[in-house]
Amino acid sequence: MERIQTHPILGDSPKGKLVSFTYDGQVLQGIEGEPISAALRVAGVMTHRYTKKRHEPRGVFCAIGRCTDCVMVVNGMPNIRTCITPLEEGMDVRTQYGASDKREEATL
Amino acid sequence: MIKRYDLIVVGAGPAGLSAAIEAAKNGLKPIVFDENAKPGGQLFKQIHKFFGSKEHKAKIRGFNIGDELLREASENGVEVVLNATVIGLYDGKEVTVKIGEEILHYKGDSVLIATGASENMVTFKGWTTPGVIGAGAAQTMMNLHHIKPGNKVLMLGSGNVGLVVSYQLMQAGCEVVALVDAAPRIGGYGVHAAKIARCGVPFYLSHTIVEVTGAEAVNGVTIAKLDENFKFIEGTEKTFEVDTVCVAVGLSPMSQLLKQAGCEMKDTPGGFVPVCDDSGATSIPGIYAAGDVAGIEEASSAMIEGRMSGARIANYLGYLDEDALQARLAELEQALSSLRKGMFAPENRGKLVTKTEEGIDTSMSLLEKGYVADDEIEKYPGVTKGSGVHPVIECTQNIPCNPCQDACPKGCISIGSNITSLPVVKGDVACIGCGMCVASCSGQAIFLVEDDIGDGYGTVTLPYEFLPLPEVGQKGIALGRDGKEVCKAEVINVRSSTAFDHTHLLTMKVSTDMVMKARFFKAE
Repeated sequence: MERIQTHPILGDSPKGKLVSFTYDGQVLQGIEGEPISAALRVAGVMTHRYTKKRHEPRGVFCAIGRCTDCVMVVNGMPNIRTCITPLEEGMDVRTQYGASDKREEATL
Repeated sequence: MIKRYDLIVVGAGPAGLSAAIEAAKNGLKPIVFDENAKPGGQLFKQIHKFFGSKEHKAKIRGFNIGDELLREASENGVEVVLNATVIGLYDGKEVTVKIGEEILHYKGDSVLIATGASENMVTFKGWTTPGVIGAGAAQTMMNLHHIKPGNKVLMLGSGNVGLVVSYQLMQAGCEVVALVDAAPRIGGYGVHAAKIARCGVPFYLSHTIVEVTGAEAVNGVTIAKLDENFKFIEGTEKTFEVDTVCVAVGLSPMSQLLKQAGCEMKDTPGGFVPVCDDSGATSIPGIYAAGDVAGIEEASSAMIEGRMSGARIANYLGYLDEDALQARLAELEQALSSLRKGMFAPENRGKLVTKTEEGIDTSMSLLEKGYVADDEIEKYPGVTKGSGVHPVIECTQNIPCNPCQDACPKGCISIGSNITSLPVVKGDVACIGCGMCVASCSGQAIFLVEDDIGDGYGTVTLPYEFLPLPEVGQKGIALGRDGKEVCKAEVINVRSSTAFDHTHLLTMKVSTDMVMKARFFKAE
């Protein structure tokens, strides 16, 4: 999804500092301090994790840190709520399978 | 060491901040904890103009009210601790707070819980597919983080949240393909529905989602009509190609801390809430609740409830004498009760109100399709005819709101002392066409109409809050209240002013016989 450049009520969106981070090893860019999930959505990433038993995809649902559907493995730490965790330069963001970043953790 | 405060507030939203401000003004030392990185609760996502009267900050946009509240809190020395999650409320009003990886203990001589509410969900096939999001999530993404939640969106839920967020999605540049609700009638304000309907968004009442498709992300949604037993009627399925489905099916109070503390609770249709008096006092002395956690309403009432609790707490701790408390409560009570009047008053929830307070039939077209039908509109007292430019106020439901009355410098518009009365356009006062009423109407329900400007044309001036802003001379199509094409139109004036607060006044020229039908401009 795109960023909103100019909004009829909010005006021009603030210009933040672009930083690089990795998503499953791939280098992406986002704005420093925005939620990790925002940077991912702009990059077209909708699936943040796969459930442990059924291997079903999950993404952002509440966007305010309540539902925990958007958790990923960030800098090696699993279960990080990406919708409320600010993006930092060099972050290592990985899809979460079950409770880790290992694909075999979420198999049928 | 346990730190002690006069008042511990949990939640820095409209209710919590208001309570802390009121308490601080009376000499208490309050501390406010909030789990979020920024204070203000959901106020900073509210970009529409609020309803009510001046005392409720009507016609001011939610995020601006949020700014005012933060300023007032800081002026009064209210300490707000962010990224601080209150995880426990125990005997003796002891509070445990998780800040970073630490758990800290605090003790309050009083505790106010103002934790707000969380969004409800309904389940359907595919409801967990990435791209199915809460309406609040959409608001957060577009109004706080400046990203589009999706390009093509279907909204489920026609309460005020569903209606307001649908409009905001369009303001953010998203296409809303349909607004769907299982209920047979629109739940939110008619004026909110009307401003979406005239842009051409179809409403599907008595419909709900059968299935969302897409393996890794939403790529479509199928809805179908429901019979009176809420069962799908075969053959009524409709499929939309969308990348996002927004769910706005109500809110539930986040009352867990109150339950944990042992407050007496009750199960209501609006959720699990504490039993408390008008000023938020729960069954445990010294523990209070205000805002959505004590019963879902809206930010305007939450702010008043917070003030009432703040005053009550000041009295409880001996900072405010009984007479002063009663005087303050009476004042606030009056402001609160005026917000709880009208067709959407708590006692009317879920009921069909068939007549306005003035005895005019309710528009069923508005309730079922989102717009007042052309042959119904002239029944309402704000819709008048006149020679020369004059306001046409398409306000047809009794809701607590009156900024239009003060907006007119000539005194053309009258609501009177009953805040829910429908506005009346006085025939004996000349309209100067300034448009202040158009911009002041939070429901965007006021238009300026001039029947005849010569050559068979008239003009319609409408509130416009989208980008790109049409330019003078631009040709396009006038859409009716139902969002369907009415006739050709040409923009002849666009007015913008700080006083209008981002609502632009767009004047279009249409043929004279269409001035009472044309209500939106679509560029060609």
